[in-house]
Amino acid sequence: MNKVITINLGGNAYQLEEGGYDALRAYLETAAVKLLGNPDRDEILSDIELAIAEKFRALLASHKTVVETKEVAAVLAEMGPIEAEPGEAASPGARAAGATSGTGGQKTTGGKAAESSGSPRRLYRIQEGAMIAGVCNGIAAHMNIDPTLVRLAFVLLTIFWGTGLLVYVVMAIVVPEARSPEEKAAASGFPATAQEFIRRAKEGYYEAMKGFPDRKARREWKRQFKREMRAHADQWRFNWHSYWAEHAPIHPGMGFVLPFLSLLQGAATVVWICAIISLLATGAVAHRLRHSRGAAEIRAARVLLQSGPAAVGLVLRVFHGWGRLVRRDRGPPVAGRALFSGAARRDSQFSCFRPSGRG
Amino acid sequence: MSVNEKFSAIRKGLLEFLVLQIISAEKVYVADILKQLSATEFATQEGTLYPLLSRMRREGLLDYEWKESEAGPPRKYYELTAKGREQLRETLEYWGQINGTVKKLGLK
Repeated sequence: MNKVITINLGGNAYQLEEGGYDALRAYLETAAVKLLGNPDRDEILSDIELAIAEKFRALLASHKTVVETKEVAAVLAEMGPIEAEPGEAASPGARAAGATSGTGGQKTTGGKAAESSGSPRRLYRIQEGAMIAGVCNGIAAHMNIDPTLVRLAFVLLTIFWGTGLLVYVVMAIVVPEARSPEEKAAASGFPATAQEFIRRAKEGYYEAMKGFPDRKARREWKRQFKREMRAHADQWRFNWHSYWAEHAPIHPGMGFVLPFLSLLQGAATVVWICAIISLLATGAVAHRLRHSRGAAEIRAARVLLQSGPAAVGLVLRVFHGWGRLVRRDRGPPVAGRALFSGAARRDSQFSCFRPSGRG
Repeated sequence: MSVNEKFSAIRKGLLEFLVLQIISAEKVYVADILKQLSATEFATQEGTLYPLLSRMRREGLLDYEWKESEAGPPRKYYELTAKGREQLRETLEYWGQINGTVKKLGLK
């Protein structure tokens, strides 16, 4: 099963498989680059598009509406590479760019393959969106956090200890820059398992969607799919917690420190509550506004503003917990239920990904 | 290097004149030209032919007109201009000379 992309060639719509679309786009982009400097560039490109459209048309029939990837490849091979006419050839620089963009198509697919088979994550500098040399950007991608946080850390290091700048300069020199698509993929290195999971889920989802005759059955099935996805998330969280409960690095001093830390946290909470109450009671929340006009309204608005997000968060949390309780009570046995019967299944079986079972 | 390879540049240069000759016979569109060339040593592809045709049109050797087609988008049918016909005549003459030279030289 492949995704289909609809394109417009010479005023007619054609449906291509995704791979075929990529190949066609790479071909036309290469052609456009090779014809740089040719006064009839646009006309030649439209001629070529029409020629391709005609070949596609010949492949299609009433029972066949999609051009497959391999058919696109065959058509493009038949078209042959665009050869710039002598004398009006593009400049060597543009030519080289054309050559790289031509192989770029293949490279990207290679990069994708490498990514999905689990490319190792490496530290690179990333120039896109960089402020100076892309060091912070690279670290952020490597650790999967916001680059702003990393930048902030560097700034703080520089201000308080003076080492941040030195480290930055050294890293700017030592760490390589991510240039090729593969390197860029390796720089952010999404875990292959997550990608594989998403791919499988999508595939199963669409495959199953086709199996239902009427809308009602489909809707019911969609609902179940969502339920199972949620259950999977629950299970994942549980696995995560139980894993770290068993494998967390335990320091001998922890037994001594932890109770004190809890006490400290409790004390901090009490202090925080007291502070809020006293602030509200004395009106010190709006200290600066106290002497200005219309102070009462503004003060009220400010209190509302400050406490609003917390209140919303609280309500959301309550609803979330309530929703989970309700979910637990009804619905078919899902992976999530196993959690609470104490027998956590490590491998969740996606029953809804198998259309044969229901469709 | 085979003879075939050695002549690749020459074939490329001659392509323009073969195209002139093909178009001189009747109005044709690109697929016709490709088909006629496909059985010869000069077999080529759209990727080469379209840029060539566009240059020849710019030089005033040929012109085209759009024609509807039942099997897909409209097609460009090419025909020679007076200048193109003149060019073809000159070329054939010149080619005759070259051919004669090739045959004559070194033979007594």
